[in-house]
Order: sequence, then C-alpha cells, then structure tokens
Amino acid sequence: MKSKNLFVVVSLLLVVAMIAGCQPAAAPATQAPAQPPAQPPATTAKPYIPVISKGFQHQFWQAVKAGSEKAAKELNVDITFEGPETEAMVDKQVEMFQTALDKKPAAICLAAVDSKAFIPLLEKAKAAGIPVIGFDSGVDSDIPVATAATDNIAAAAAAADKMAELIGGSGEVAIIAHDQTSRTGIDRVKGFTDQIKAKYPNITIVDTQYGGGDQLKSTDIAKTVIGAHPNLKGYFGANEGSIIGVLNAAKELNMGGKLTIIGYDSGKQQKDAIRSGFQAGAITQDPIGIGYKCVEAAVKAMKGEKLDKNIDTGFKWYDKTNIDDPEIVAVLYD
Amino acid sequence: MGEPLVVMEGIDKSFPGVHALDQCHFELLPGEVHALVGENGAGKSTLMKVLSGIYKAEAGRIVYKGKEVEIPNPRAAQQLGISMIHQELNLMPHLTVAQNIFIGREPRHHIRFMLDEKALNDQAQQVFALLHLNLDPRIKVADLTVAKQQMVEIAKALSFNAEVLIMDEPTAALTDTEIDELFRIIDDLRTKGVGVVHISHRLEELKQISDRVTVMRDGKYIDTVKTREASIDRIISMMVGRTIFEATPEVPEKPSEEIVLEAKNLTRGNLIKDVSFQLKKGEILGFSGLVGAGRTEVARAVFGADPIDSGEIYVKGIKVHIGSPNDAVKHGIGYLSEDRKRYGLALGMDVEENVVLAAFKKFLGAFGWVNRSKTRSTAEQYVKMLAVKTPSLQQKVRNLSGGNQQKVILGKWLTADTNILIFDEPTRGIDVGAKSEIYHLLNNLAQQGKSIIMISSELPEILRMSHRVVVMCEGRITGELNIAEATQEKIMQYATQRGEVLLVDEPAPTSAPLGDA
Amino acid sequence: MEAKTAPRSSLLRPERIQRFLAFGGLIALIVVFSLASQYFLKPDNIGGIFLATAVNGVLALGVTFVIINGGIDLSVGTVMTFSAVMTAQFITIWQMPVPVGILAGLLTGALCGLANGLMVTKMKVPPFVATLGMLYITKGLSLVVSQLKPIYFNDTPIFNQVAMGSVLGDLARVVIGVFDPSNPMVLEPLANPTIVDPIKNIVLVFFGAAIIAAFILGKTILGRYTFAMGSNVEATRLSGVNVDRWQTAIYTLCGLFAGLAGVIIGARLNSAQPALGAGYELDAIAAAVIGGTSLSGGEGSILGTVIGAFVISVLANGLRILSVPQEWQIVVTGTILVLAVYLDRRRKK
Repeated sequence: MKSKNLFVVVSLLLVVAMIAGCQPAAAPATQAPAQPPAQPPATTAKPYIPVISKGFQHQFWQAVKAGSEKAAKELNVDITFEGPETEAMVDKQVEMFQTALDKKPAAICLAAVDSKAFIPLLEKAKAAGIPVIGFDSGVDSDIPVATAATDNIAAAAAAADKMAELIGGSGEVAIIAHDQTSRTGIDRVKGFTDQIKAKYPNITIVDTQYGGGDQLKSTDIAKTVIGAHPNLKGYFGANEGSIIGVLNAAKELNMGGKLTIIGYDSGKQQKDAIRSGFQAGAITQDPIGIGYKCVEAAVKAMKGEKLDKNIDTGFKWYDKTNIDDPEIVAVLYD
Repeated sequence: MGEPLVVMEGIDKSFPGVHALDQCHFELLPGEVHALVGENGAGKSTLMKVLSGIYKAEAGRIVYKGKEVEIPNPRAAQQLGISMIHQELNLMPHLTVAQNIFIGREPRHHIRFMLDEKALNDQAQQVFALLHLNLDPRIKVADLTVAKQQMVEIAKALSFNAEVLIMDEPTAALTDTEIDELFRIIDDLRTKGVGVVHISHRLEELKQISDRVTVMRDGKYIDTVKTREASIDRIISMMVGRTIFEATPEVPEKPSEEIVLEAKNLTRGNLIKDVSFQLKKGEILGFSGLVGAGRTEVARAVFGADPIDSGEIYVKGIKVHIGSPNDAVKHGIGYLSEDRKRYGLALGMDVEENVVLAAFKKFLGAFGWVNRSKTRSTAEQYVKMLAVKTPSLQQKVRNLSGGNQQKVILGKWLTADTNILIFDEPTRGIDVGAKSEIYHLLNNLAQQGKSIIMISSELPEILRMSHRVVVMCEGRITGELNIAEATQEKIMQYATQRGEVLLVDEPAPTSAPLGDA
Repeated sequence: MEAKTAPRSSLLRPERIQRFLAFGGLIALIVVFSLASQYFLKPDNIGGIFLATAVNGVLALGVTFVIINGGIDLSVGTVMTFSAVMTAQFITIWQMPVPVGILAGLLTGALCGLANGLMVTKMKVPPFVATLGMLYITKGLSLVVSQLKPIYFNDTPIFNQVAMGSVLGDLARVVIGVFDPSNPMVLEPLANPTIVDPIKNIVLVFFGAAIIAAFILGKTILGRYTFAMGSNVEATRLSGVNVDRWQTAIYTLCGLFAGLAGVIIGARLNSAQPALGAGYELDAIAAAVIGGTSLSGGEGSILGTVIGAFVISVLANGLRILSVPQEWQIVVTGTILVLAVYLDRRRKK
C-alpha cells in the first residue's frame, strides 16, 4: 500500500516538475494565448479565425504558426492553430474542422490532409456563410475563396534545373520524399521528375523512395540507394526529414563532395550542411509568409473584400552564397 | 504410530455467502496415508488449503509436531515441511523438470545472480533417486505425460523435505498403470514416515491405499475411521447422510413414451466416453455425478458447443447433424449454462432484449428493423408466465437476482420455440425460496410436453425432480436408475465407480510392478 | 509412455525448428538478394544493414523479455525517443559531459520501464493498456521537453564520432600496419576503408547488448523467472517467487534497452528528433515474433530476436536495392510477419 501511494505521488511530482520546468521557456516562443478560446466569438471583441494545419510537430508548421500569429496580432483577430500529429490522420483533422465550425468563426484557414474528405464539411461552411481559406497544399475544391500556397510543382522543377546545372546536364540522380499520398509529396516528386524528363534527356532518375519524413528511416533508405547506384551524381530530398536522411547517409559513406545534394525547406542541420558546402542548396518555401497570408486573406474575406483565387507565397533557391541574405534569412527556420 | 504429525482443531472458514468450514477437525499421523472424502463442496480442499497456507482460517488452531503453528502463506508451509499438490497441476510447461522443482530456490553460482545449472540438475537427480524415479531432469515439462508431471510435483514437494504431503485428486487424470506407480511411491513415502493426505472421489482406490478415512460433509467434520474396518457403503452413507431437502416432493406426472432426443455413443477425447441416453417427451431426466464427471461436457456436445469425435444424435427419431449451437437451436434444443453470467445472458442489456435475443429473426420487420411492439408483447407474456420479478422490461438483467436471471434465460429459450431444454445446475447460487419456484417451473414445463435434461450436483434435487436419473463418472455413464429405485447411496456408488473397476471391499495389493519408469 | 518421456532428438524440438526456420529464412533472403543485385553484398551495404538493424534490434531485445514473460510493451519506441531527448537535454542544453548524458538517457528509459512495471504489478493495469499509456506519455513529454524542436549534438561532435567510428576498422589498420606500413589503407584511411570499416561502433554496441541480454535470459535468476512467469504465473507465485518484483524488474530492463536505443539513435542522427518513435514498437515486436518468441509467453530467445531483426532489415534493404516500390515492400514485410506467426501457431497445435 505504502509503495503504491509513493509511486502515485512521485509520478505526479515528476509530471508537474516537467511542465513547470518547461513552461517559462516555451512561453516567449509561442505568443499565442495559453488556451484556445473555448467560447464562441460572440463573447470576445475580436473576430475568431481557427487555423487548421496538417501538423504541428515539425519546424515547418511552427514557422507557419509564427506567421499566422504575426498576422493575427497586426490585424487584430484571435486565432487558434492546431493540426493532427501526423499527416495521415484525416479523421482527426475532420474532427478539428467540425469543432471549429461549431464555434461559428468569422473564417477558417485550412491545409487539408485529404481534400476529398473535406467536401461535405466545406459545403456546410459555405452554407453557413463562413469563408474558407486554403493554405500550404490547399484544398481541391471551388469552395475555398483563396489558397495561400507554394507552387510545389514549379518549386520542384526549379530544383531539377539546379540539379541539372550542378551535375553538368547528364548522369544518374535519385529522389527521396516523405510520402506518396500527400499533395506536397506528389507535387514535388512530379515537378522534379517531369522537368528532368522534359528538359534533360541525358539525366536518368534511377530511384524514387519514400521515408515517411522519418530521419532514421530516410537515412537507411538513402544509404541503400547510394550503395546500389555507384554512379549516382545527385540526390534530391523533397522535405526536411528526407533530406536529413540523405545528408546522414552521405556522411556515413564519406560521400562529401562526390554527391550533389539538393534539399527542400530549412532546419538547422540542413542550413549547416549548406553553409559548409556539403549540401549544394535547397528550395525554401516561405512558411511564415504562408501563415501570414492565409490569415490576412481570411480577414479580407470576412470583410467581404475580393480575393485572388491563388495567392502564390513563392519559393526561393538558397545556397552557400545567399544563405545570409536578409530576404532568405527571413523565410528560413531552425 | 505415536504422536500425531498434524492436529487441526476447530477450524472455521467462510467465503462470501458460504460457511465453508465449520469447526473442522483433522489429525494426521506420521507414516500414514489418510484419505479425506466427501461430496462436492464438503470442504476437503478448503481444509487442506488452510493447512498448506493458501487460505487463512478465521478460528481454530493447527498443531504441528506438538507445537502450535501459524501458517500464513505457502512458503511458510513448505518451510515447516507441508507441501500440497493441487488438482490442477502447478507446473511451468516451458521449463525443464529440474527448473520446475527448484523454482524460487535455484542453486546459485558463486556470482550471486548467476544460476548453477549443473548443481540444479544434480540435485534434481538426487531427489529422483530417493523416489526411485527414472526421469531426465533436463526434459521440458510440456513434453511429459500427465502422470510424469505429477511425479515432478511430488518430487518438488519432497525436495522441501516434506513430512506432510497433501494430494488433491492425484489420480483423476491417470491410467491404471500410472496409478499403480503413484501408489508405489506413496507406499514408499509411508515407510519413510511421511504423512500423506489423499483427497479423492474414488472410494475403491482409498480402500487400496489408505490407512484411515476422514469424512466431511457440508463443511463439517463427520468422522474418522480405520479403512480396514469401514465398508464402502458405510463411507457413502456418512458422505450423503442428510435428509432430503423439503418434505413433500412434487410427484412428477408420468411422461409419454415418445422419444424426442437420443444420443448414441457420443465420444470426445477423454472427456466423453461412449455416452448413450434417451430423453422422452415430457420427461425430466436427471444427470448426476461428481464434479468433473463429464455431465456439462455431454450437454455442450449435444448443444453443439464443443465438437465430438464420434457418435450420433437423433431428434424425434431423425438423425441430425449438430455442429454449432445455431444448429441445436434450429432443432429446438436450448442450453441453460451453469455459468449464467458468462454464457447465458447479455448482462448489460435489458430484460426485453434478452428474452428475444435467441429468436431475433422472428421480430424483424419488412426493412430489417426490429418490431418493437412485437418484442415487447412477447417479453411481457413470458415475464408474466414465468413470474419474473422485475420493475420493468427495461431493467438491466445485471440488476436482477439469480433466480430471476434464470427465468429470463428460460424465457429466451421458450421464445425460440425450444422443446428440449438442458438445465446445467439450474439452482446454483439461488436462494431457497427461488429454488422451489424454479422446481415448480420445471414441472410445469414438463407437463406442457417440454423435455428436460437437468444436470445437478445436489442429490436431493435430482431425487426430487427427475423421472429418471443417469449417473456419470469420468466421462462414462455408470448407471441409470428409475426414480422409484433411486437413493442417494445408490447414486453415490455409481458416481464413484470408475469405468473398468468393480467395487471391491478387499484391500488390493498396494504395490504393483513398475511400469517403464 | 516410453516415447513420450524420452527426450526428443534435439534438432527436432519445436523451438529449434522455429529458430532454424527464421535462420533459414534469413539465409534464403540473403542468397536471393545477392543473386539479384551485385551491390547487395558490398561491404558498405552490409554495414548499412547492420546499422539499420541496430536501433530496432536493441528495442527488440528488451521487448523479447517482456513478451516471454507473458506481457507486451508498446511504449519502447517513444521511450526511446524520450531517452534521446533527455540525453540531448543533458548534453546540449545543460552542457553536461557526454557520459553523463548517456547515463541520463539510459536512466530515463529504465525509469519509464519501472513505471510500466509498477503500473502492471501494483496498479494491476493490463500491460497492453499500461504501456499504451506510457507510449502517449513519453511521446508528449518528448515534445514538451524539446519544445517541439530537434536538439542537435553539434557542440559535442565526439558523441557522433565515437558512435559512428569503427574500432574494428582501426584494429584492422593496426594489424595491416604491422605487416605493411605503406598500405594505402593505413596511410589514407578515409579514402581507403578496410573491409570492416562499415561495421560501426554502434553496431558493436548492439551486439554487446545482445550478448548481455542472452546472458541474462539464459544464465541468471531474472531470466529463469522470465520464462517461469510467462509459462505459468500462478504456479510461479505459489512456488514462493515474488512475482510482482520480478515482473517490475523485467519491464525496467526493457525500458533500459529502450534507453540504450535512444542513445544509439541520438548518436547516429547527431540529434534527438522528438517527433520520431511511434511505430518503432511494432517493428521491435515483429522482430521478436519472427525470431520465435511466442506472444502467449514462455518461449523465445535472444538469438531468435537478433535473427528476426535482421530478417526485417535485410528484407527492407534488399527490396530497396531492387527498387521494388515502397508500397509492395510493406506488403511483403506484413506477409512475412503473418507467416512467422502462422508457423508459431501451427507447431503449437
């Protein structure tokens, strides 16, 4: 009996200590209200706009979140930012959207994990007169009044052009991406592949694999592929977790300088590799801009202003030479 | 034989709702084999579990070798030298023989947390030598026969230098040659001065091996007699010596001669051996026997809940195939399980839902929904007819008393147009008042032409209710009695009669030539 | 009776058959893949397979104990992540020496395992639920402690260097150096790796852990009781063994292995990735099961688990080398797993 009580107390203490220990550090990083407003907007002065993203754990989404919070502050609206734990959890996201609708918000920003699953809910939102703004990968539907997103096909095509340039227009390259079902995964692989096929007949893509964005699995995959293709000249990683895998594999196999590595997004490890020249460069989206522009569009829609259907948030190529340019620094995250 | 090894006096033990041991007395001498007998639930195992530290008595004292002792747990009993071999063997099948024997006290290497496997096997070998057993200590227990596993249990008990060895139904699963070897070992122990307590239902066997017999009944000590001086009849009469429950049994009407159910040569492994019986229309057929005699197994086989190896079942003279309970229900057979809560009822559902559960198809409307008004009226009808005491049809069955739960199950089978009903211990856990109500109901059903098989371990119940009694022992039918000729003593004799063995009053030779051991 | 009691020919014992099947399967896979691709047997690829096995293998070692004991541990993947995060917290954030960080990681794993054990034995929560809860708890705590960001070991490059170095390679160089000091493998080791250089130190850690695990399971009291409880927990209790205490110890040991896996994955990725880990427990359980550990408890072996872990990684590696589409790789892995359990069931009948 005694030991049971002791156990309960100790574990409670442990939990409390952890939360307490991390709270002060976490607070300044996220300037959002500690709790999402549980009350419908009627009781608050500011309009309420829920932002439903595809995730929250990855750095990319944290940057989107920062951008949307910035817009919320400047435009004087309340937002909440939430997303499912993995990009496979369609049901969880649908539930989040449903809950958001029930709160009767002024507008909703949505980056759908699976566009088709959202059609009934989007119609519900339309019927209720709540404007929906798509962001990141957007939503395959006419209902969203606008979509703030990177043109992933164009961005990946740009990566292909860079790859061709750096390896001299011929040779073997490989692709590793996060998954074969999400919009961004499909678009980036397609953009890169189509561009190579259309413009660079002397370059062959020898392998396209998917590592789920898991750094360890991506490492093992990239290592196998590099081993199986000794003439490989370039490797394209279609998101942060994937490119980290390529970097690890190249490092473990002592391939520094022998392989042209092109990545996507940023993150500390990728930035360090680019600075040192180990990695040739990367395509960066503007996650902060995506977050900012979708909230901005939502505010405009709420006020009934006319919007462009597609808000291109842009992408940029960065490498050792321009990584410290202010306009690049502004869109990179750690 | 000198001073007693163990004396238990005034032992009292209760479980919720049962006074399991009431002022019990027991005495064991060194070098004696002491049989402990009694009907199911007489308290034999409970008394011995008190002695071996599994249960704690609420009153009474235990004197061991002249000193009063406390036995709080099995470990303490083992340290005193008291070991018990339980009915269900307590071995670890994936471990070797030696590993089993020394579990919890393995010889260690001089590095303390390391095992010394060689010492382990050597010590096991020494124990076997004492028992004159030829067994490889490195074999996995799973690869041994049940008899050999029992030997391992005995070896384990003796490795504690046991001076008291308690065996609960050790011969239940053994063949004759295996029993002979067991008895040889018991005999051996007796000469070494070990006191052996032998709990068994097989009276003829006790005659063969034991020195004294203690009889228990309903948690009470009855008497201790010298085996040589007591006949089996006398022991049986001490075991059952109880007046019939309630003075005036209802005289059942004579059933018709039409046979509605016939089983021919049902066999299922070791559990059911060549069982044949007939059930007539309007008859209550009692199935008697001791726990583990195979009565429930026969019922489950007839109901299609367990597969049979061979045998045939006829319903109204036509041979039928019953491969599942669904088939049985189609042929109008219903089974009311002994464990109502586990098998008979959906406890979380209400009375109405339970009543219509087995015949749901009857209540389906045009589009596959359930016709509520029809289910309600049917449920109402049976609740009234069976006098189920429930505040409403929407009462959850969980909240009803045992007797009323039994009635709800009955209602369920009646709704399904069942003509043959198998009741497995219909009054278990039901209080006396509700019992006579259930009896009344059974009689009514029989009069209406339903045929009933009633499995019961209570002899008075069997005698009171049945037209005919079938007695089983170890998977066989050992006797069939008309109610006019049936007595508790006769039933008990059949119930303790092993298939191949005739009743013998002469003590048989205690040691037989060894088998392959 | 004679036939039943006589020990069966040792090769035909069911558990040996299972292990033989798994080992035979592994060999068959290796043969098929090396015939199908000339790159499969290259030292770098073999090294890659070893590396890819290390993390899952260490997790599977711990899980093997719990499963033999008749339980299950679903939390090993996220406990591993949490241990990696705590190691990074100590080394990078709190600037502690590397060994202290490693110790903290191991301790974190062991504590999580201890909590699992206490939930199972003292609070009587079924192992499936208790460890499922721990899965969520450690998943959340990893994110909380790391503040959702990966923590890098960039200030302590030694951590990654030691882990990804190759003692075997260095030894080989020393030996070669004695006979042939001018060999390019000695003079320019980076450009001319020896054949054993791809066997990194963390692979040796994995093998070391496997040897220790096999020793504990086969030669110590803890191992004996692991089997005994998995075989018949009631009988073990009645024999006077303190079942609760030993079960707690087994879960703690499993947590310790998860902690070790956390240190290994941190060293390999040179970072603690807080979002990793969920799903790894299934790979670990699969490795144990393919290796002949019975989910109903009482049987299993460390050697089997190691083989099982290699079956999984060889399969993944080989199919990738052959450029089999990923979706089919997953199908094949699933089929192998079901096949292994099916054989396990069949031989039990």
